[in-house]
Amino acid sequence: MQFQKEVEITAPREKVWQFIWDVDRFILCVPGCRDAKTIEEGKRYTATIVEKVGPFKVEFPTIIEVIEREELSRIKAQASGADNKIGSRMKIDLDVSLRTQDDRTILGFVAGVDVLGKLAALGHGIIKRKADQVLDEFAQAVKQKLEEKA
Amino acid sequence: MLRRFRLEEPGSVAEVSELLGRFGESAKVYAGGTELLLAMKEGLVRYERLINIKGLSELGEVSIDNGTIRIGALCTHRQLETSSALQQKLPSLVKLEQNVANVRVRQAGTIGGNLCFAEPHADPGTLLVALGARMIAEKSSTKREIAAEDFFVDAYETSLEADDVLTEIRIPTPGVDSRSAYLKFGYLERPSVGVAVALTVNAGGVSNTKIAVGCAGPAPRRVAEAEALIDGKSTQEATRNLSAAGAIAGRAAQAISDLHGSQEYKEHIVGVLLRRAFQSLVS
Repeated sequence: MQFQKEVEITAPREKVWQFIWDVDRFILCVPGCRDAKTIEEGKRYTATIVEKVGPFKVEFPTIIEVIEREELSRIKAQASGADNKIGSRMKIDLDVSLRTQDDRTILGFVAGVDVLGKLAALGHGIIKRKADQVLDEFAQAVKQKLEEKA
Repeated sequence: MLRRFRLEEPGSVAEVSELLGRFGESAKVYAGGTELLLAMKEGLVRYERLINIKGLSELGEVSIDNGTIRIGALCTHRQLETSSALQQKLPSLVKLEQNVANVRVRQAGTIGGNLCFAEPHADPGTLLVALGARMIAEKSSTKREIAAEDFFVDAYETSLEADDVLTEIRIPTPGVDSRSAYLKFGYLERPSVGVAVALTVNAGGVSNTKIAVGCAGPAPRRVAEAEALIDGKSTQEATRNLSAAGAIAGRAAQAISDLHGSQEYKEHIVGVLLRRAFQSLVS
C-alpha cells in the first residue's frame, strides 16, 4: 500500500528538521505510538505501535532504522514490527522530505506500508483506510505541534 | 484454537448491561457467535469473558403491532427468512435473509449479532437504513432508540456505548403503496456491493424515497442527495435521473479498493444495482 501526503507548516525548515529528530516530542505526533527509545542517535530507534479497528487491536514492537539522511531535506527510514499474539507483521518504508515555500515548510512523506499475517483477514481495504487515517492524523499533529510553538 | 474464557449466563438485559459495564473491553456479548468465535479462534480478538445472551428468549421474537415491526435482536437469520409475518409485511427483508451467507450461518447467526459486529460486508444494515429502522439500545435502567443510519459509525464500529445491549430492531410497517428492495453483488458469500431502495409509488409518482449503500465501503450509508433526484418525481422523470443518482450513491458508498474489486468498479456496480432495484419497484 502506497501513501503520499504533504503538509504545509508555518515554521522554518530548520525548526521542522529539529523537531523530527526530537524523538520525545515527535513521537507524540504518531498516533498509537509509545515507549519510544533511542538505540543509536540518528540511526536506530524502537517504539511500540498500538492500533485498533473496532474490536481488533494490534501491538507492534517496532524497530525504526534511518537508512539515509540529507541534512534539512530528506530522511529515508524503515520501520518493522511483529505482533506475535495475533501473528501479524508490518513493514513501513518511509521517505520524508522537507522544502521551503515562502515562509513555510512543506513536509512531504511517501509511505509504503505492508501488513502481513492474520491481520490481513480484516481485508486490505480496511487496513488501507486505517493506515490513511493514521497518516493524516500524524501530519496534522506535526503541523499543530510546530505551529503552536511558533 | 479457541483460548479459554469465562462464560457468563445472565438472566436479564439489565444483568447483561451490568456485566458489560463491569468488565469493559475484556467482555463481549455472545449471541450467535458466527463472526465472534471465528475471530476468537483466529486469535484476532481476545476476551476473558463471553456474555451468553441466548437464554434471553424474550429477545428472540418477531411481532407486528401498531404500525411497527419488532424484531428481537436474538432472532436468527433463519427465523427471519422463514417468518410468515415478515413475508407478508416486509418481503424484501425475507429475501435478503434467504441470501445471507449459507444455511449454517443463518441457523446460528442472529440479526443483533450481525448488526453489532458491524462487519462491512454484511447485508442487513443497508436495508435497515433504507427502511428507516430504529435500534433499541438498553442499559440497566434506561432504553433509547438509535436510527439505523446513525447506528453504523465505521467498519466494525457502532454507536452503541460500552454497556448498551441491542435488544430490538423496530421498522415502520410499510404502507400499501410502499415497496423496498435490496440487491447485492459479490463473489462467494461476502457481498462486495449492496444497495437498498425503499419508496412509495402511486399515481402521484414516487415519494418517501430512501436509498442506502453498503458493503463497498466501511459502513452502510444513507444517500439523501441521490434520494432527492428520485423523490417527488414521476416514475418517468425519476427513471431519467437514475444515472445521476447512481453516480452520487456510488461516491457516497466510500468504496474501498480490495480483492472484491476496485473503487471505480464498485461505484459503477452501485449505479447498476440502484437502477435495477428502482425498476423492480416501479414496474
